[in-house]
Amino acid sequence: MTSTPAKHSALEGLVPAAVGFGSLVAFFIAVEILIQFGLLNRFIVPPPSEIIGSFYRIVAEEHVFSRFLFTAGECLIAGIMLTVFGVAGGVLMHRFRLLQQACETWVAALASAPFVLMYPLFLVIFGRNAWTIIMMGFVSALPPVILKTIEGLSGTRKVLVNVGKSFNLSATQQFWKILFPAALPTIFVGIRLGLIFALINIVGTEFLINFGGLGQLIEDLAERYDLAGTYAAICFVILVSVLFFMALEKAERWLRPAG
Amino acid sequence: MPSAAPNRTDDAILVVDNIVVRFETAEGAIIALDDMSFKVRPGEFLSIIGPSGCGKSTLFNVIGGLLGQYQGAVRVAGETISGPHKSIGMVFQEESTFPWRTVVDNVAFPLELIGMPKAERAERARHFISLVGLDGFENRYPGELSGGMRQRVSLARTLASEPKILLMDEPFAALDEQTRLLLGDKVLQIQQQLKQTTLLITHNITEAVQMSDRILVMTYRPGKMKRIVDINLPRPRTSEIVGSEAFGRYVAQIWSDLREEASRGMKDAESHALHTSS
Amino acid sequence: MAETRRLTSAGTSAPFGSSVTLLRAAIILGVLGLWELLAHSGWLYRDVVPSLLAIGRALFALLTSGNYYFNLGVTAGEIGLALAIGGLSGVAIGLLLGANRFLSKAYEPYLYYLGPTPKIIFFPVMIMWFGVGVESKIALGALSCFFPVVLSVAAGMRAIDGVLVRVGKSFRADPWQMAMKIYLPAMRHPIINGVRLGLGFALIGTLLAETKLSNKGIGFLIIQAYSIFDMPRMYAMLIVLFVLAIGANALVGRLGGLDSIKRS
Repeated sequence: MTSTPAKHSALEGLVPAAVGFGSLVAFFIAVEILIQFGLLNRFIVPPPSEIIGSFYRIVAEEHVFSRFLFTAGECLIAGIMLTVFGVAGGVLMHRFRLLQQACETWVAALASAPFVLMYPLFLVIFGRNAWTIIMMGFVSALPPVILKTIEGLSGTRKVLVNVGKSFNLSATQQFWKILFPAALPTIFVGIRLGLIFALINIVGTEFLINFGGLGQLIEDLAERYDLAGTYAAICFVILVSVLFFMALEKAERWLRPAG
Repeated sequence: MPSAAPNRTDDAILVVDNIVVRFETAEGAIIALDDMSFKVRPGEFLSIIGPSGCGKSTLFNVIGGLLGQYQGAVRVAGETISGPHKSIGMVFQEESTFPWRTVVDNVAFPLELIGMPKAERAERARHFISLVGLDGFENRYPGELSGGMRQRVSLARTLASEPKILLMDEPFAALDEQTRLLLGDKVLQIQQQLKQTTLLITHNITEAVQMSDRILVMTYRPGKMKRIVDINLPRPRTSEIVGSEAFGRYVAQIWSDLREEASRGMKDAESHALHTSS
Repeated sequence: MAETRRLTSAGTSAPFGSSVTLLRAAIILGVLGLWELLAHSGWLYRDVVPSLLAIGRALFALLTSGNYYFNLGVTAGEIGLALAIGGLSGVAIGLLLGANRFLSKAYEPYLYYLGPTPKIIFFPVMIMWFGVGVESKIALGALSCFFPVVLSVAAGMRAIDGVLVRVGKSFRADPWQMAMKIYLPAMRHPIINGVRLGLGFALIGTLLAETKLSNKGIGFLIIQAYSIFDMPRMYAMLIVLFVLAIGANALVGRLGGLDSIKRS
């Protein structure tokens, strides 16, 4: 029930984080020891030390940087398409109430649909190249962007709309000066969600069709039975993914200071 | 007229003895309650009134046994409490009905906890549902009821555990004035009928004078007892009494006590807002 | 069915009434019409867009073949187990993290940041650990499903209205009673939503793993159709898959929605 003074609470925040991190490190050290003593099969789980050792090799030999750029490029294109078509789609649906009433539940249902399972189909349609991957990212990430755009526009507080009416704004002015700016925070949330979905599906598709940048790297190393390399590449991709997610969070917070 | 408090309450059912509550915050130690002492007679309706920030809710949590770190003691029929006591029933300020249970299942909750068989507890629950005037709503869900009705369900639930002492923390705070007056009538009626010892914590002077036998006025933080006022208005009391002259005099008297404390509280809040960043 | 949908979507129903149904019908017919046009135009390589009739025939053949149901059973079983393993461990750990601030601060950030990453890339590891049989697919499905469930349950625990816990304490409920009569019922929405998300992710994870490496299951059938370029069959399977996935999601949501009348 009592809360501690400021000085103590800063430390209080660090203690659990340190315990969490420390226990994970201890876990990996334990795994290392178990493998070195032969209690865990090193052909199923490579020793963590070997995995860490592979990092440098992977980065140097496997052109990780250019692969990263390739994947990033795919994400960028998918992201631009998402923003343009997703926001436009949401705006259209908001503008034409009938359209919204007809289609919104469909879009919501599709948001939970397993689009990524259509990748064999996309392979046939677009061929085994970057477009399959980009389209995969784009299509699976579209519904949340549309839905959030509609939500943002519809959710504008009535009083703000009335302010616009009291100044006799035309419908276009009303949209650009009031509705759209008010909806931007929610739209950004939608774009962030969309980008995350897109990245997940892009990397996943790269892995599945064995083409592209980072996702393909993992598949490649796995096929070569480079165990330590595969683990290292997976760690690397996870790292990139986490950093991307963190960057998006920061960006959203920066764009939304009152939030 | 204010009275000398302690001597007439030797047959007290609740004794609050020298309670001191101290909180450590980022800005240093805050004393929420300082040497709070009073006694409550059986069957009495005692209101505790004070400005915002006087420690009323802290006192509520101490007596209710939900706050354990304090100096001093709370005794119920001679027994010092160490946690929520079975003779004390609490009614909270916020919405506290379980949204997933029907009205009758909400009210039967304390009976369920002590293992009463289903048929018996349903019947008991119905009795208290009727007492608060919600006949016919047994199988509805709280979501289907108004705020005032939900508070009545919470009240019925606490009454169902048949506590010796009913402890309420601003139960009508979230309701509009008319509903509040009518519910106040209902609570009074029940209290008279059950001869229920009741402790009502409130910031509403009209409510306190309408319902109570005595009113304890608290100071602003650190909360102490400023004055105990005997309310010698005839019983049974209804909301009509609100218009009488005697009533007005009591309200004015308590307000003059309270105003001083309330303005201290306001000045404190203003300087706090000025000095902290948003 | 359409009645209730009209009433719940976008609030108003009166002025537009059956115009919504008309528009929906028009959109569907328009899409199907365009499709058929593309199919017969010869612009795209043969069978990339098969005629509706061909798809229809493939659909019929699919739904009347015992082999399909066998594979459907295999996949359903894998998804079920994946959901059970990932879901139950997610709920258990989520409850723990939600109840204990220290553990939450120590470990939840890792789960939070690992959540939005592609789990399919772990598949080679799953194969190394569990072999090439159904176990590796179940493992990947469970892994995919674990994260949304654990995060949803942990957040749900923290979001329980404090006053409800205080009510329980004021009536001196013991820990078991608190868990069964207060915590769990208060959590039914986060748990159901978590399960819904978990089901979706388990489904995707398991099926993707099947497409990558397996010799049975729906994922396997899809890749098989791809490899022999039997497009009508692939479309048919994807249609059934989407219908089942969306249907399962709606079903779990409906189960949670029945509670909505009780919500205040």
